[in-house]
Amino acid sequence: MTSRERYGRALPTLITLIVIGVMLMTFDIRSEGQGVVGVLRQGAQTLLAPLQKAASYAVTPVVNLVDSVTDVARLREENAALRREIQELAAEINASRDATVRLAELEAIFGMTPTGVDIGRTVANVIGRVGVTVDEALIIDKGTTDGVAVGQPVVDSQNYVVGSVASVTASSATVVPILSARQGMTVLVGQAEGTLLPQTGSDLMRLEIFGAREPVLAGTSVVTSSGSLRFPAGWLVGEVVEDVQPSVDVITVPVRPYSSPAALRVVVVLAWPPDPVTASAPPTTTTLPETSTTTLPEGSTTTLPEDEE
Amino acid sequence: MRIPKAPLVITILVLAVVVQTALLGRIRSWAPDLVVLTVVLFAMTRIRVELVLLIGFVAGLVVDLAGTSLTGLRAVVYTAVAYAAIRTTHYAEIGRIATGLWGGILTFMALALVVIIGTLFGQNLVGPDIGNRMIIVPLLNAILAALVAPSFSRLIDRDTGIFGYS
Repeated sequence: MTSRERYGRALPTLITLIVIGVMLMTFDIRSEGQGVVGVLRQGAQTLLAPLQKAASYAVTPVVNLVDSVTDVARLREENAALRREIQELAAEINASRDATVRLAELEAIFGMTPTGVDIGRTVANVIGRVGVTVDEALIIDKGTTDGVAVGQPVVDSQNYVVGSVASVTASSATVVPILSARQGMTVLVGQAEGTLLPQTGSDLMRLEIFGAREPVLAGTSVVTSSGSLRFPAGWLVGEVVEDVQPSVDVITVPVRPYSSPAALRVVVVLAWPPDPVTASAPPTTTTLPETSTTTLPEGSTTTLPEDEE
Repeated sequence: MRIPKAPLVITILVLAVVVQTALLGRIRSWAPDLVVLTVVLFAMTRIRVELVLLIGFVAGLVVDLAGTSLTGLRAVVYTAVAYAAIRTTHYAEIGRIATGLWGGILTFMALALVVIIGTLFGQNLVGPDIGNRMIIVPLLNAILAALVAPSFSRLIDRDTGIFGYS
């Protein structure tokens, strides 16, 4: 076969396929992952999920064995550090016990009850990863039949925020870690609220705080804010890695996420918001009785009307 | 017993995608890109060039659909890489080292194109350690290409006549 015969229709085929590919990319961007492209994606994931589960089931013992052997030295050091941490935390718990009792007494006195319902949890195994080199996502073995829905937050076994569910099939779901997400998240660092954004080519995230008046110190924990519509409030995200002084306009703080998606075997999907219909409603943390009389320490009295939250 | 070529090609592609996502994804930094490697190796076989391009397109599309990245991105890239592989396959026939280098360079091309085209389409694709991975993944693919290319051709074509070595 001559070279001309062999490559005869290669170029027209190449051009046709590239045009189709570019059209698919355009449709995907325009439809924001919904429509035909969304259906295609869901179909492909439904077909691949059983194969990935089977492969994961078969190779997990081998991967765990290799991990265990290579991690022995690191685990020993980690164990020693964790023992020290346990002692410190035990001391902290003892110190905070008195404050907890006092809080419960005060809540009883003022008739305050929390409105937040317990967040349902779905524990899932990580059965695959896509985008090994770029655009990473985790595939988990729980889907709509287990109550997993698009947009639900995902944490790891230590309750550190991992990311959120990007797409879901009946038996599997795809989780985009916060480091690969295209959206930022609203977080709290100390008393300041800011937006945490992924950074291109870095395992650190960028926290932007507008109008900060106090310095942000290295080691400060970053937690999800009640101002976030995508994550419940108060979950640990990461820690600030360097001191930053306040400036006139906006300060940018580097944050290292606590959770490392590369090492995850198990994740927990949070059934949040509990009622998706009210997801856009501003969250409330406490309610007072319909008409309550609150006695302040100074002896003054405040009465809330019935229709006020 | 002769195995029909089409089912064999489909099986190899599905296996590559499943192994890549379920097994190699776990070892991240030290994982080769099996799907790119498979597409490149198909270019060395005697399958018609149009079909090799189609294999590249379908393989890329499956990887796109299996994850959350832009649909069509890898389909376009893998098709382009398959074309480059078809046009340069004579270099791979020189010897085992040449095959390895050829596979590594084409893998690097695939990774670079994913990042470039993805960025042009507004995707935030460059994750942590991208520099390391742009070196390690092509290197691993180069080693694998040098090792398995003759066996791969033998499996698909039942013949290694294309190689000056075997």
